[in-house]
Amino acid sequence: MSKPAKPGQPLKISAKSPLKIALVEDQPKVRDNWSQLINSFPDLSCVCICKTGEEALRLIPEVKPDAVLMDIFLPRMSGIECTSRLKALVPDVRIIILTAMNDEELVFMALEAGADGYLLKRTKPADLRAALLDVLTGGAPMTSEIARRVVESFRLKAKTRDESLRLSAREEQILLLLAKGHSNKMIADNLEISVDTVCHHLKHVFEKMHVSSRTEAVVRYMASKTPAAS
Amino acid sequence: MQVKQNNFRPMRPFSGTTTGRFRRATSCFFAMRHGAALGLLVFGLMTAWSQSAPVPDAAHPVTINTNVDDPAEPLKDSLSERGSHNFSDMGSWIWETNTLDRQTVRFWKSFEIPAGATVSRARLRVTGDNEYILYLDGRELGRDAEWRHLYEYDITSLLAPGSHVLAVEVYNSSREAGFMFGLRVGLSSGKVVAVKSDASWLIVPEDVAGWEKTIEPPDTWRHAKVEVAFGSGPWGTMDYIDLVPPLQPLNIPFWKTGWFEVVLVSVCVLVSLFSFMLASQVLLHRKEKLLLYQERARIARDIHDDLGTRVTQLVLQGEVAQSELPSGSRTRGQLERISDEAREALLAMDEILWAINPRRDTLQEFATFVCGHAQTFLKTTPIQCVLDVEPAMSAVAFDLPFRRSLLLAVKEALNNAAKHSGATELQLQIRRQGEGLTVVVQDNGNGFDPAQARTERNGLANMAQRLNEVGGKCIVASQPGTGCRVEFYIPFTQMRRRPWWSNWYSGGRLTKMPPVRAAKKK
Repeated sequence: MSKPAKPGQPLKISAKSPLKIALVEDQPKVRDNWSQLINSFPDLSCVCICKTGEEALRLIPEVKPDAVLMDIFLPRMSGIECTSRLKALVPDVRIIILTAMNDEELVFMALEAGADGYLLKRTKPADLRAALLDVLTGGAPMTSEIARRVVESFRLKAKTRDESLRLSAREEQILLLLAKGHSNKMIADNLEISVDTVCHHLKHVFEKMHVSSRTEAVVRYMASKTPAAS
Repeated sequence: MQVKQNNFRPMRPFSGTTTGRFRRATSCFFAMRHGAALGLLVFGLMTAWSQSAPVPDAAHPVTINTNVDDPAEPLKDSLSERGSHNFSDMGSWIWETNTLDRQTVRFWKSFEIPAGATVSRARLRVTGDNEYILYLDGRELGRDAEWRHLYEYDITSLLAPGSHVLAVEVYNSSREAGFMFGLRVGLSSGKVVAVKSDASWLIVPEDVAGWEKTIEPPDTWRHAKVEVAFGSGPWGTMDYIDLVPPLQPLNIPFWKTGWFEVVLVSVCVLVSLFSFMLASQVLLHRKEKLLLYQERARIARDIHDDLGTRVTQLVLQGEVAQSELPSGSRTRGQLERISDEAREALLAMDEILWAINPRRDTLQEFATFVCGHAQTFLKTTPIQCVLDVEPAMSAVAFDLPFRRSLLLAVKEALNNAAKHSGATELQLQIRRQGEGLTVVVQDNGNGFDPAQARTERNGLANMAQRLNEVGGKCIVASQPGTGCRVEFYIPFTQMRRRPWWSNWYSGGRLTKMPPVRAAKKK
């Protein structure tokens, strides 16, 4: 199975060159705890800590980390806004949204804005690394609710967007099965394809989402820059 | 015959005095917003009534030329003996001793209809030079200003046995002045009561008020002076007789009476007050509801921003502390339990947050949460969860008490399935069915006999109780070996549609919970 061509360098994880992680979080204690936790893994390294979205937009393009952990609630500029702006500046950076509470509506908004995945802040450290790597290699885990919202948003956009940004029949089929609560394994069995293929399709769905949101984000970013130039 | 100046004044309708008051009442009525509908109804009713009621049209008397032998044909039928050329009943022209220009003279005369008599016909003829106003028993019968015409009134239905008062006010604009009158009352007994203008009429002094109603005249009133007999003098014989349509006893319709107006106004005031009270209650209720929603949103925000963050912080702190201890140490195990407890607390908070956030008051949100819960809950069990949720339910309101009760009931059903069913697959179905919402939890497990289970398993009673509380019902169908199907149904009639203003008040702040922290908490 051929991997989809992703922009930027492929993720290589080894203890020698640990993954560079940037953290955007306004609460000092959470910031410290997270950087400590990240650094406690030999193959992860926290290279950049930003207190605000503005700081992240300034520092991250220079540092060029492999992944950004982004808090959703930030003062002034929200994590969602920061995500879409950051994606416009550095398209190949992976952004993972951190949320304190399980709010799939916000998560979906972040995914739409270009986030590659999300993590609950309360995730156990043991699971954290795996979840993090999962997100970085395979995209966000699709819960049935997220799948439902993805299908919905693509249906809404379908009227105005060009063909390349629409879901393929297979992709929609997979999303609908996900929305019904089927696991990737069940879907693979159901459609008589491999689990990898299912994952591949899902990755493609996220890419489409990001492409559509990125063009929007650029437009939005430019529009917001112009009057703020003073 | 001399040419006289004709100061014609059109007749006013007799009942004109009450219209002003009535108009005021209705305008005041219409000023009251809340009673407007009722007002229109009553007004329409009254207008229809007054149109159907016969009103004497004295403004347009029929004029007969007495020089023509054959009066107009239709008159023969309708007015039979009226307008005859017989002037034998007419009195003389009378006036006060002095004749002045621009002089008003008021004549008074009483007459008697014998007790027990029935009036078969009463014809009254009158004219004045230049103008007259004729009263009978204080009621104005008519007025006119053409001395060349005789005015004939049919007052048959106005006369009952007893004493009656005739009063005539005559105005002379200049030179010759006179008043002439003749009343002939035919009784069924064949007798005739006749009243003519003569010296027996009394002149009413200028300053007497209510003279037209006076029954007993004081001695101070002087007698009128006869000028010339009918047919002579400057006036000659009358060429025209104006027939005033027969007069009816004054029947004041009930809506023109004072008490009715009072009642009408009171009703209006009461209706307005009542409407105002209702409106203010509705307003108060809305405000209360709005406040409740705002308060719920605030609590949700507080839990989300503050409590959630703090407990998350607790979890992280615990994890960091653990990572600093050697594995296998006792404290590390304790710290792990603390972190796990805190995670549980966060999980519970997720649910509380869902319950109190007013933005979750929709069917869609309910379905989302229940599905999420079922998936998370069944993840730790061998049961595979299959969802079957009707799409596009988002707009339908599903208020807190309903979704909470239903959630608890569904949780109970899931719990039962996980504990007792031994199933491998569970289907959660959420659909709108007819005028209600149906949630079905169906497993492929062992099943049971509901008749026996009811007594030993409290969960079933609990589910039924929860659904009962919100007007729904719970149907459990199961047989040993065939799995179990629990159906919950809540009719939509129990819920209301989301009010229009819910969008407004939740607009900026609640529809999208601001992902920007308002103030930094240190």
